[in-house]
Amino acid sequence: MKRFRRQFFIGTVALLVATAAALWAHRRWHHALPDYAYLSGWVLFVALFVLTFFNARKKLSFLPLGKAETWLQIHIYLGFFTVVLFLIHLNFRLPHGGFELTLAWLFTLVSASGVAGLFFSRTLPVRLASRGGEVLFEKIPALRQTLRTAAETLAFDAPTPFIAEFYTQRLAPFFAGPKNGWRHFFESRRPLNALMAELEDLRRFANAAEQEKIEKLAALVRQKDGLDYHRSLQLALKQWLFVHIPLTYGLVVFTLAHLVLVFGFSGGAR
Amino acid sequence: MSEQLPAPDFDAQQYARPNQNWICGHAAEGQACRQGPDARGRCCATAECKPLLETKPGETKGRWRCTRPGGECAAGPLPDGRCCRPIVKCSPVPTLRVWRGRATLAVIAVACASLLLVCGNPPWRNQFFSPGQISRAHSGGAFAALVATNHFQQNCEACHVAGNSGPHGIVQTALRAEPGMLELSKLARARADVPTAIDAACVNCHAGKNLHQPDTAVISCSYCHAEHQGLKIAATTDANCVFCHGDAGKMAGHANTIPVLHHFAGDHPQFRFVAETRRDPDTLKFNHARHLTGTTIPKLPGGRTLDCAFCHQPDAAGAFMKPVAFESHCRVCHSLQFDPATPQLQLPHGSAAFVSAFLRSLPKQYLNLAPPEDPAAANAFVQQKLAGLRAQCGSGEDLEQRVFFSTATFGPETQVGTLGGNTRAVFPGCALCHEVQPGRLGSPSITKPVQTERWLTQAKFTHAKHAATACVQCHAAVTSQDTADILLPPKETCAACHNPRAGITDSCATCHTYHPPSAAPQ
Repeated sequence: MKRFRRQFFIGTVALLVATAAALWAHRRWHHALPDYAYLSGWVLFVALFVLTFFNARKKLSFLPLGKAETWLQIHIYLGFFTVVLFLIHLNFRLPHGGFELTLAWLFTLVSASGVAGLFFSRTLPVRLASRGGEVLFEKIPALRQTLRTAAETLAFDAPTPFIAEFYTQRLAPFFAGPKNGWRHFFESRRPLNALMAELEDLRRFANAAEQEKIEKLAALVRQKDGLDYHRSLQLALKQWLFVHIPLTYGLVVFTLAHLVLVFGFSGGAR
Repeated sequence: MSEQLPAPDFDAQQYARPNQNWICGHAAEGQACRQGPDARGRCCATAECKPLLETKPGETKGRWRCTRPGGECAAGPLPDGRCCRPIVKCSPVPTLRVWRGRATLAVIAVACASLLLVCGNPPWRNQFFSPGQISRAHSGGAFAALVATNHFQQNCEACHVAGNSGPHGIVQTALRAEPGMLELSKLARARADVPTAIDAACVNCHAGKNLHQPDTAVISCSYCHAEHQGLKIAATTDANCVFCHGDAGKMAGHANTIPVLHHFAGDHPQFRFVAETRRDPDTLKFNHARHLTGTTIPKLPGGRTLDCAFCHQPDAAGAFMKPVAFESHCRVCHSLQFDPATPQLQLPHGSAAFVSAFLRSLPKQYLNLAPPEDPAAANAFVQQKLAGLRAQCGSGEDLEQRVFFSTATFGPETQVGTLGGNTRAVFPGCALCHEVQPGRLGSPSITKPVQTERWLTQAKFTHAKHAATACVQCHAAVTSQDTADILLPPKETCAACHNPRAGITDSCATCHTYHPPSAAPQ
């Protein structure tokens, strides 16, 4: 924790200093340098390149390029600084025109998804740890199948048919696949409570042996719900990258096109 | 807080291979095979084991032995050496990494395809690549007519070399750009006073552009004029002006006339007429203070009090004031009557020769006023009027001298009943207002008044925009008794409102125009 605070402090101070320096440079040279927009564009391009290289760095783990954790910190703080550079490059005005709007939207979506990813990676693991039941994302389908088999065995081995009926009608869809993803993401326990209430109702018609089965079924339902909870949050931890990474490469394509268009069309215009 | 769930049990032998691209199709059922799919996503499952042929010394045929991990199966290998427990082949499932990679490739493909599609279609290209709306000056009907006469198209190519090119042409133009893409030092050292490639397109229409001073260096058009910023071409900013005017080095050649300046309220020089204490050269004698505050000023027709607006009326544009004219603004009080007994007879205004001729034709003028039906009575009327005039002014020469040279506003002392005092002068005389000099031959000469239309010729001004401000707040007319006073405010009066603190613009372009009118497109 102490190390995290130190990293946070150093990163924040560096970000603030860099932002102040960039704003000062903008104020100083925005009008003084006729080709200022080209220069700020190049700085932004280099920053984007370094940020994009973070993804490649993860794949080049065999190269001695420093710790991945250090790269992540650089990626995060440079990402925030790039937003400042982007605003400076735009001269704090909204862009116009189809191409520039597309470029700006891509940048905005990439930045927003990055911020969302940072938020997820800071908050969701804490929630997962507090819920317990540590499980690998890739193991979840197999575990779900195990729980389903155990529940079916319990339900269909009962001497009276009402547990099997209840399973067929209410629990079979629940065990069939992942459920209540969004509700788990927003920490809602209403679906589980509703199901547990129905199981509690079922107890009234059960004898002692059946009540034991229902108790075991309830435990399996709770485990399945926990599994769904893990799947929902772990999926969120992975899915934001489905926005961040593809759009990053789309942004790179449009940025390269922007570079060519600027030099192709301006002919040195300021 | 939510209840703590126990961690589920895992089979440590089952490695999920999360960093690989494919996982076994049976993994979701918890029965993933140990081998897993190959790198291309093909199922590699054959059988639970690969039997091993064991041949004891002396034997020739040998015996197949089960090698299944976890223990030999009961049935054992088939006689031909194959495992008796073949594994059902699966359809391997791509991992999230693969889906993410596919999504990335799809986005790249869509981005490249859409760019190529747009590049290949000129109307789409012109619309999509345009970084903003073209100004009205470069997109309206007048511009269309202009491009037609100059034989080029009203699209990107009107200004951009690459405007009519496909993807290849755009890339080629970009690679030939000056400064080049990677010539960062040149970009950093770029100077505003060096015309760029796109300036050549400006000169197509603005040929022979005439800058604001003949001896100034040519400045790149695009340094000040940013296109694609909306219907109105982007206004030149103060920074554009200060680029030269705030640089002592650039202004070295003009140091005597134009100092280095940055802000209007700050180091902008005092208006020249104030700094050089210039005087209005007009010879007309006019006392603003008396006309505005004098107790002898009569009411105007309709009971209106004489004020600034009676004489100073704005032009059609509301920018400046129309010249003051005697007939419109002075005659209402200064009627040029010279015979109190015949008020309808008035001297002409505008020419001393006309006045002389008028005075010498007074019998004829009186005759025109006499009853026409009886010549004898008319003659008597004329003689009576002339006699009355002679009694007041003496001879005809005396009358002419008095008309031209008198400055008297009051007549002799008289006593009417119990009240005594000066009477109004018969006629104050031309010299009351004008500079009158005796002529060597004929009538005296009257110096024609000269009304200076503009004092600050290097600046623009609009009275209409200042309508909420009282005239006397800027013009010190109430205290001015001399025509030679230039009643324009000094810089400080303008800067009291036009400064950042007061919130009213103080930009250079508020008052100054860079290009003279001759820079209009041709």
